[in-house]
Amino acid sequence: MTPEPDRRTVILRIVVPVAVAAAGLALWEFLVAYYDVPRFVLPAPSAVWTSLVDDFAVLAGSWWLTVRITLEAYFLAVVGGVALAVLFSQSRLVELALFPYAVVLQVTPVVSIAPLVIIWVGLDHADRALLILAWVVAFFPILSNTTFGLRSVDHNLLNLFELYGATRWQVLTRLQLPSALPHLLAGMKISGGLALIGSVVAEFVAGSGTATGLAWRIVEAGNRLNIARMFAALILLSATGILIYLLLDRLEHLVLRRWHESVVRREN
Amino acid sequence: MIESRPRGGAAAVPSVAVGNARLRFGDTLLFEALDFELAAGSWTCLLGSSGVGKSSLLRLVAGLARHEPPTRVSASDGQPLAGRIAYMAQQDLLLPWLTALDNVLLGTRLRGQPVTINKVAEARRLLDDVGLGGRDGLRPAALSGGMRQRVALARTLMEDRPVVLMDEPFSAVDALTRIRLQDLAARLLAGRTVLLVTHDPLEALRLGSRVHVMSGFPATIGPALIPPGPPPRPVGDPAVLELQAALLQSFTA
Repeated sequence: MTPEPDRRTVILRIVVPVAVAAAGLALWEFLVAYYDVPRFVLPAPSAVWTSLVDDFAVLAGSWWLTVRITLEAYFLAVVGGVALAVLFSQSRLVELALFPYAVVLQVTPVVSIAPLVIIWVGLDHADRALLILAWVVAFFPILSNTTFGLRSVDHNLLNLFELYGATRWQVLTRLQLPSALPHLLAGMKISGGLALIGSVVAEFVAGSGTATGLAWRIVEAGNRLNIARMFAALILLSATGILIYLLLDRLEHLVLRRWHESVVRREN
Repeated sequence: MIESRPRGGAAAVPSVAVGNARLRFGDTLLFEALDFELAAGSWTCLLGSSGVGKSSLLRLVAGLARHEPPTRVSASDGQPLAGRIAYMAQQDLLLPWLTALDNVLLGTRLRGQPVTINKVAEARRLLDDVGLGGRDGLRPAALSGGMRQRVALARTLMEDRPVVLMDEPFSAVDALTRIRLQDLAARLLAGRTVLLVTHDPLEALRLGSRVHVMSGFPATIGPALIPPGPPPRPVGDPAVLELQAALLQSFTA
């Protein structure tokens, strides 16, 4: 493989989207000025940028709260999801007993349980409510993907381990968990975005003055018709979501690149 | 010259007898009152079409199939078979996240034995024997199908078990690689009690000291065919070709 086509692809993959974005922003700026669109309907990109810079201190504080809740919820979702999946793989009885409730938790819209959670943790601890709600949203993909991965181990390999006299612990750590790793990482990629979405949605429903994340800033700016700040907060949210996705994609690639079909380079 | 005898010594190689075996697959009775013997220190080949129950019989010997009474599986020395069997399958059954070397060392690790310098050297030598010297750091994804099967063969040898069960180990590789792997396995596994299950008459006749045909529902096992000459027999051996023709005719009759 020569480096030229690769480099050209990379340049294209960066240059083309950036050019499209620049053209779009320029058009947007022009149309707002040309038609004299009021600031409280659609601010020009330059006004959004100004808001992003001027309100940075406020926005950064809110951003950090949202990110913190997202990361905490995500961490707890990964740890809890994997732990429960391992438990399910070891005991059919536990799986039969608990899996339906995991599904119930998943299919119940998070918006509808938010008021309950708020009541339970108390209005003074809105951040705890946000954490719980974001966790509920992020938890299920990890659980179901890991459970699926642990269960779909090649039965011939299980036979081989049995013939070699492997213990249950060895089968779990040396066969089931590595086999489930690609599924776990796929689940982690889905959950990463969901944790962010969960913490934002939770804040819309359960946010209060004691927990002012980015969603709170969006609602607040909307109420004040400060649409430029609304856009600024939205940009921060999107950027955070993209960053989470890129980091997890990179992690998946680094972990699996040496052996898994999905990332090993092939000639064809 | 490669040391092919089990390192435990020839005396440790028993014959294996299956008596009065009865096995179901789901609701289907695969066989009953089946008797079968693996002669000590030689290759027994079991031929038959797909689904006849060859693999199930092999799994029964391995202790992986749930047989029904009055099935007996025993070794001639009266000791239990568990822990004395090495197994090789049609799929290489390598762990994709381990290197060739670590795959060969899998059994050692699972037994909780320390991976000493000697063990590593031994695993390297076995990889060398199967023609993969210098490739022990590669993972299965970087190896061809034939190479992977050779790693699996090295792992089987590393186990150093007196009884070796092979379930169509060479059927997923190309014809030329298959011949080479057959020669290699015949050389490296000589002196052990081997059961080779295959649907390839030529393979059975090249490698087997005794060749049995398994057929029918429920299945029965025919008398032993004993091809002349020591294995591995040449592909063009007239006696082998003649027996192959006879076997193929009996299959299609």
